[in-house]
Amino acid sequence: MKKLITILVIFACFSCKNETKSNGKLNVVTTTTMITDLVENIGGEFVNVQGLMGSGVDPHLYKASEGDVTKLVEANVIFYNGLHLEGKLVEVFEKMGSATKTPIALGEELDKNTLIGSDYFASNYDPHVWFDIEYFKQFAKKVTQVLSEKNPENTDNFKANEAKYLAQLDELQKNIKATIETLPKEKRILVTAHDAFNYFGKAYNFEVVGLQGISTATEAGVQDVQQLSAFIIEKQIKAIFVESSVPKRTIEALQASVKSKGHEVEIGGTLYSDALGSTGTLEGSYIGMFEYNVNTIVNALK
Amino acid sequence: MSSAQIEIQLIASLVAVACAIPGTFLVLRKMAMISDAISHSILPGIVVGFFITQDLNSPLLILLAALTGVVTVVLVEYIQKTGLVKEDTAIGLVFPVLFSIGVLMIAKKANDVHLDIDAVLVGELALAPFDRLLISGVDVGPKALWVIGVILIITIVLLLAFFKELKLSTFDKGLAASLGFSPVIIHYGLMTVSSITTVGAFDAVGAILVVALMIAPAATAYLLTTDLKKMLSLSILFGVFSAIAGYWVAHQLDASISGSITTVLGFLFLLVYLFAPSKGVFAVMYREKQQRTEVSLLTFLLHLKNHDEERERHVNHLNEHINWQKVRSKTVLDLALKNNMIEINKNIVSLTVKGNAFTTQAIDYIITNEDAQIEDMKDDFFLFRG
Repeated sequence: MKKLITILVIFACFSCKNETKSNGKLNVVTTTTMITDLVENIGGEFVNVQGLMGSGVDPHLYKASEGDVTKLVEANVIFYNGLHLEGKLVEVFEKMGSATKTPIALGEELDKNTLIGSDYFASNYDPHVWFDIEYFKQFAKKVTQVLSEKNPENTDNFKANEAKYLAQLDELQKNIKATIETLPKEKRILVTAHDAFNYFGKAYNFEVVGLQGISTATEAGVQDVQQLSAFIIEKQIKAIFVESSVPKRTIEALQASVKSKGHEVEIGGTLYSDALGSTGTLEGSYIGMFEYNVNTIVNALK
Repeated sequence: MSSAQIEIQLIASLVAVACAIPGTFLVLRKMAMISDAISHSILPGIVVGFFITQDLNSPLLILLAALTGVVTVVLVEYIQKTGLVKEDTAIGLVFPVLFSIGVLMIAKKANDVHLDIDAVLVGELALAPFDRLLISGVDVGPKALWVIGVILIITIVLLLAFFKELKLSTFDKGLAASLGFSPVIIHYGLMTVSSITTVGAFDAVGAILVVALMIAPAATAYLLTTDLKKMLSLSILFGVFSAIAGYWVAHQLDASISGSITTVLGFLFLLVYLFAPSKGVFAVMYREKQQRTEVSLLTFLLHLKNHDEERERHVNHLNEHINWQKVRSKTVLDLALKNNMIEINKNIVSLTVKGNAFTTQAIDYIITNEDAQIEDMKDDFFLFRG
């Protein structure tokens, strides 16, 4: 025990440097890349935004790193999706609320009656709400409201950024509706590896079929693949899609199954589902990601 | 250093100590893998506990889980005693079955609770400081720190109380039984402690790290000492060192803390495995090389003893006659010269009095195999040790 204390004290002395770098700004921690992008747009240079998850990380399987501890310790506000998207992290956030820390589950603020129910997810709601731009706008409003409460002197800046961002989202909404209009109604069938796109389908009139979503079991079985390949042939679907945070193995199995029945189906491209693309690229922002997804889907299915 | 960082290191260090103590005995009893088995097979205990209390934080869960751990050990022993399968096979038979029963119970009854396998098996050290224990509204520290602290105190008290019994039943079951300690009770007591430690620790740090902290420090210490007390202290030292060093590796790399600690444990073992003074790879290699040289030396001395004719004893002819490569004959000649066993006169090698005596003694030893004769030679030569 004495050794232990000695070692601890030695290490404590090694690292006595103060690591806070808040320079008076609000420290905001976010989970998924979508929410990080949103808060960066609204907070702008008036807050410090720290995202926990990188691009390509499946939020269900996220593992905290050492650096995340410091981010969480210094956080004043934490924005997360909730609806059990972030797994164990959600439980931790729920216990964290205090005078100096405010965790906000953006997904929980939405009207539950409009959400899609799901047997598969623990909360009984499908958590992939950001694929309906209307919900993402509500996220934006909530973020603005919370930031303004926490940092009243910048309220005007946040409001201005919100207005600008909402206008961009309206623009995005218009653009993708126009793009989708070019695709005949009967061709609007989206086949992917898991069921992240239900809100997308509901908002833009796509029939969405997820390979893992057909059965409620977590792994796609042989029968799922067989049924779905029959479905693809029957509806003459031209392309199926891989998701950035789900291994492409299952979708390739599906493609092979269709092929074995003498038909052809392309892999239409990789869609961003649970995370955005790398920062700096067009798909690294929510708006860029959405446009990329819609263009990929429409071009492949035409 | 923020208080969260200190708390993480403190939790990790306490887990390391709490694991090193039962781990040392498990390694000595060749039962190291039982901790891996326990970490999985306790799942049904946790699930049943949850069904009864409907509360994931109830102490009953830990108790039932530990009980399932003991059931695992009993089943493993029972299967092993049949003599039909070996111990590792018995472990491999028992824990997947128990684990699967847990998975099925979750799938059937608790699908919409956070009782999934990830949540149970993958504790997250990084998040431990944020799960606080509140006693009537006052924050008294992270919950994991208290859970581990209590387990550690129980472990230390039990260790001090039963050290003699544990030691005896580990090294000599028969003697322990004849002196009136039941090795069976000590055995199950040890297993219960391991079981409780595993359960308590893996909610805080995750199962893989618990298994690593139980086995790696003890296995490393075992390479350095055969004294039980020294082995215990070394295990604790290695465990705590890896916990804290691992944390700072994670800090530098911005990586998973549990992963970094496990990696440090692995490196530490590798270092000791290579460089340990008597059991290390390099020490063994050096010893074997010495022994080969000494065998050659003996062969060479015998050759000299058996041959009087000069041409057989000429330095340049050694290669041909005993069929050595040049390098080795030089090493052997040097060694023999250094020990004053031969003298070289005009390139003719002959035995000295000492060399002659040594050779005679060595032959006697080889023939009679009696240790007493070579006691005084052991200090100079590896060959006659062990």
